[in-house]
Amino acid sequence: MTRRSAFVAVCLLFVAALSSEVSADGLVNEDVKRTVDLSTHLAKITAEIVLSNHGQSSVQSFILAVDADLAPHMAYIGASVKGDEEEHGTLELQQTSIQGQRGEFYKVLLPSTLAAGAQLKVKTEMMFSHVLKPFPTQITQAERQLVVFQGNHYLYSPYPTRSQTTRVRLASKTVESYTKLGNPSKTDEIIEYGPFRDVAPFSEDALKIHYENNTPFLTITSITRTIEVSHWGNIAVEETIDLRHTGAILKGPFSRYDYQRQSDSGISSVKSFKTILPASAQDVYYRDEIGNISTSHLQVLDDSVEVEVRPRFPLFGGWKTHYIIGYNLPSYEYLYTLGEQYALKMRLVDHVYDDQVIDYMTVKIILPEGAKNIHVDTPYKIDRMPNQLHYTYLDTFGRPVLVATKNNLVEQHIQDFVVHYTFNKILMLQEPLLVVGAFYILFFTVIIYVRLDFAITKDPAAEVRMKVASITEQVLTLVNRRLGLYRHMDEVVNRYKQSRDTGALNSGRKTLEADHRTLTSEISSLQARLKTEGSDLAEKVGEIQKLDGQVKELVCRSCSEAERLVGGKVKKETYIESEKSLTGRRQELISRIDSLLDAL
Amino acid sequence: KHNLCFYWSLCVTVKTVLKIYMFSAATIIKLCRKVDVFSIITKLDVYPGLMVTAGLIHYILNLLHVTVHIRDVCVFLAPVFSGLTAISTYLLTRELWNQGAGLLAACFIAIVPGYISRSVAGSFDNEGIAIFALQFTYYLWVKSVKTGSVFWTIGCCLSYFYMVSAWGGYVFIINLIPLHVFALLLMQRYSRRVYIAYSTFYIVGLILSMQVPFVGFQPIRTSEHMAAAGVFALLQAYAFLQYLKDRLTRQEFQTLFFLGISLAACIVFLTVIYLTYTGRAHKLQPVCVFLLSRLHSYAKIHIPIIASVSEHQPTTWVSFFFDLHILVCTFPAGLWFCIKNINDERVFVALYAISAVYFAGVMVRLMLTLTPVVCMLSAVAFSSVFEHYMGDDTKREKPPEKAEEGLGPNIKSIVTMLMLMLLMMFAVHCTWVTSNAYSSPSVVLASYNHDGTRNILDDFREAYYWLRQNTDEHARVMSWWDYGYQIAGMANRTTLVDNNTWNNSHIALVGKAMSSNESAAYEIMRSLDVDYVLIIFGGVIGYSGDDINKFLWMVRIAEGEHPKDIRESDYFTPQGEFRVDKAGSPTLLNCLMYKMSYYRFGEITPPGFDRTRNAEIGNKDIKFKHLEEAFTSEHWLVRIYKVKRLENREALDHKLRSVVSRQKYTSKKVSVFPLRRDGFSCSLSFMMLSTTYSCDPHTHLR
Repeated sequence: MTRRSAFVAVCLLFVAALSSEVSADGLVNEDVKRTVDLSTHLAKITAEIVLSNHGQSSVQSFILAVDADLAPHMAYIGASVKGDEEEHGTLELQQTSIQGQRGEFYKVLLPSTLAAGAQLKVKTEMMFSHVLKPFPTQITQAERQLVVFQGNHYLYSPYPTRSQTTRVRLASKTVESYTKLGNPSKTDEIIEYGPFRDVAPFSEDALKIHYENNTPFLTITSITRTIEVSHWGNIAVEETIDLRHTGAILKGPFSRYDYQRQSDSGISSVKSFKTILPASAQDVYYRDEIGNISTSHLQVLDDSVEVEVRPRFPLFGGWKTHYIIGYNLPSYEYLYTLGEQYALKMRLVDHVYDDQVIDYMTVKIILPEGAKNIHVDTPYKIDRMPNQLHYTYLDTFGRPVLVATKNNLVEQHIQDFVVHYTFNKILMLQEPLLVVGAFYILFFTVIIYVRLDFAITKDPAAEVRMKVASITEQVLTLVNRRLGLYRHMDEVVNRYKQSRDTGALNSGRKTLEADHRTLTSEISSLQARLKTEGSDLAEKVGEIQKLDGQVKELVCRSCSEAERLVGGKVKKETYIESEKSLTGRRQELISRIDSLLDAL
Repeated sequence: KHNLCFYWSLCVTVKTVLKIYMFSAATIIKLCRKVDVFSIITKLDVYPGLMVTAGLIHYILNLLHVTVHIRDVCVFLAPVFSGLTAISTYLLTRELWNQGAGLLAACFIAIVPGYISRSVAGSFDNEGIAIFALQFTYYLWVKSVKTGSVFWTIGCCLSYFYMVSAWGGYVFIINLIPLHVFALLLMQRYSRRVYIAYSTFYIVGLILSMQVPFVGFQPIRTSEHMAAAGVFALLQAYAFLQYLKDRLTRQEFQTLFFLGISLAACIVFLTVIYLTYTGRAHKLQPVCVFLLSRLHSYAKIHIPIIASVSEHQPTTWVSFFFDLHILVCTFPAGLWFCIKNINDERVFVALYAISAVYFAGVMVRLMLTLTPVVCMLSAVAFSSVFEHYMGDDTKREKPPEKAEEGLGPNIKSIVTMLMLMLLMMFAVHCTWVTSNAYSSPSVVLASYNHDGTRNILDDFREAYYWLRQNTDEHARVMSWWDYGYQIAGMANRTTLVDNNTWNNSHIALVGKAMSSNESAAYEIMRSLDVDYVLIIFGGVIGYSGDDINKFLWMVRIAEGEHPKDIRESDYFTPQGEFRVDKAGSPTLLNCLMYKMSYYRFGEITPPGFDRTRNAEIGNKDIKFKHLEEAFTSEHWLVRIYKVKRLENREALDHKLRSVVSRQKYTSKKVSVFPLRRDGFSCSLSFMMLSTTYSCDPHTHLR
């Protein structure tokens, strides 16, 4: 089985090779319906060809030819099979050449072999830019624009044609002249040539039409499309566009009066056009080197965002302008991810105006910092430039930038590209951490600066002040602790009064004595230090000590009073009275101590 | 020679830098209609401080990968610096009075319209950073007078250096500080601190200021700086006398004093004689002449171009109130407080206030120097009042009420409320002025429809962008100087005169071209090699700041230089009126400016009715011979005309070729285009020269 299929394949290959070599043999264009659409500034030539195989063997491909004069201007070529049901299969094209013949040739690979004697309906489409030449090349503001198209009456083909018609669609009824091969019929904007019977292969016959065409002859001389991907959820798109009116050049003065008053003045000039942006486009801006262009309107529709782009001034023949349009897109619509794998699927070139022509395009895709293993799938061939690095806010080693260029693009080139890359998600944290680190360093420096003394000279006064302050702080805590001891003692006495446990009272008294002694000695040592620093606070501390001695005495006395009460040596009334006076005196002393402490 | 070359190259670099930054900042740069007065007076071109600051910030930010566009740096430079101004005003007022007054002063300067006019985002202007430098220099000066420390004085000098590099107004500092020292001497307030501060400041400041290329040797040459030198000498003499006083007896000192005085008088006398003899007396102009009073008279008499700028008109009371509001009433009170409790630094602020008031009265533009001191002194006044009337709340623990016995709580609260009301109204006024007068860019005009929708008239940018995109890269545009920077920045085209042109005769030539008839103007325009002429015309929409309204100034300036060709009286009706209708003078109705403004204007409906001047124009049939309308913006606000080239002269060419010898032919051809600067004709003439040189030896060889 496998051997047999391999054999068939080899056979087929052989047959294919044979048929391409002797390409003209066998295939015949049975019926050709050609349409040359000249209603815009582009020439759009479509042909519906019924192809039949009159040869002996089946074929897998056929050759599509482009006229030699038009070939350099060709922006797009495409072919599709037209089946019985309305299914259009676009076909793959490969450029080839045929010896001894002018023009460009493309080999169209058929989806299935065309057996001998079989027929196939094919539709081909070609777009040519800059083939409508303004003639005269210079017109005044009041004049209308006339253009000349030069082409071929016949389908340029390597195969003989049995029958063909050519229909030319113009932009207006006004036609200066047109070639009259085979007595063509003209109705309104349409000229019909043919039918021509039995046309030989590679036959050419000059078609020339000179007619009025006031459609906007706008050309994007260069466009730079920058797509910046952020993993924080945003894709920023910015297009820098150089626009030129490539119709007949304005001769003589430009009169604003005529332009405003007469509706047909400057009829070929361009006032505004519409750009269609993706539906999710936000924050659209339209500006140039000198700021926002205030003459634009934005309309949000269901499936798109329409910008009415109005250049600062109307564009007459030969005039040019330059602007920047940009917007943001949410990344979830265009960025696909699986683990560390990412894929960005976006339009390589987007709509600028209807029937657009782009002479030169540069696409820059800025991927996030740290994207690796990048590879790009493009819908058609573009010229890749070496990758660049782009630095923006908080970047350390730069974002990879893919750069690609292409010449001569039209609407048919609005197709998606896919960029695959891998990105380690940890790197998302790099920039926040950088900011955190920077602030950390800043605050740390401030802390260090505030806390440490960087003076090169010593300020003795300040030093003493600081020392004294620290000592007083210590004194304060010690004095407070000492006052706490008294409160504790009071509790002990109260408990004693209820429990009448002399042992507990004595031990309480002992601990009070001991603690009080250590605290007092500590305070007096601090007092001595204050004295050596020469601070007058030492005296106040001495006063506190003196007062404290009295408080201590009172506490002891209340303690012994309580003992006597418990021992039954005094009556309750007298005890209460003496206790009252004692506590009163104590309160007074303590408040004096407090006021002294406050003054410290 | 070498030095000169160095300075020249520096100038060129700085100029390029300026161009670049002007270009970048052009998007939001305001319509600036002024000549830098100081650069006219001192014959300077540009102060590098602003550009260097913006460039440095941009460089540092980009070094840290904060990729800000230079344009954004330029736009936000002024607001950032106004923040710094508020801080330095706080510091200065704190030194003068107390912290509370400082805070109030900072609040005032933050919102006062007089300063906001220069510090809104997008005003990339020298003044924006200069006021910060001014305030900071004064703060450091006060600090150094207070402490007598060289450290603070050096700081002051550096700040002064920055000021010198930023704005021509530095002469205000270099006159005010000596004045302060001089006043201190007169008031017997001389001290070692003052001596140290001023000596250091003068010497270091002088040397530093001479490092700025556009200042150069002026600090030792021009009379604006002589006051500083004189005070320096005086201070040295005074200090020397003080020193001698300690060493000598009274008798000896007196003899020495008289001897010294007579010697000094002799020397001065001889010097004056010598200088007069050698004819250099003008370098010794009287020192005591007040700087800006000179400027004032100088400007009024000699330079109509300065008088023609609205910013240089004397200030009206309305604009004082408009820019300062309540502060203008309260600041004398603050001044009185300062004088009542005088000390060294309050002498300074009093002098600052008095001189600034004088300058602000001379011209509207110098309101800017008055604003900070008004804020400071008003803050002092408000702060004192609040301290007095809100005293109880703050001083809790000091019960003794000495003088405030009579103040009841009612009076206190009423006064406080009143003051707060005033401040509130001030804040409201500031917000209103800022949003109405200073927030809108003047290149974009806005009008409102009946239903409140806004209509944007973007004509200026439309026309400038057309020039930028659709004219030759080397095209030269003639326009009145007001639009010079705009054309350079937005249209990126060469202009004949711009806002920094100090060559008065050049401006006068443009004025002459505008006010002559077409054929005479064509001669001038050809000699100036003009490709396009740009004018502003507001007749269609009623824009009053257009060229016809400025036209008399052009005539006056042209008359100043070309009194034979242009006479102002020719442009008036016999009744002495300036009219554009049928009654207008024929000279006016046929001059280039009139023709360019009203070309094809007679055809619109209502026929030729000028809305700005409310008149039907007098000359509706305008034809051009040498010009051609190149572009007119949507609302006719900007009109651009193309100057046609000379028509061919075939016969002449043929004759020359056959008759005149080759040598003569080329020399004549070269001299036909002596003033051409564009690449093409230069290379043309150069080619012709080179062909003759290469041809001659060839013929010899033959």
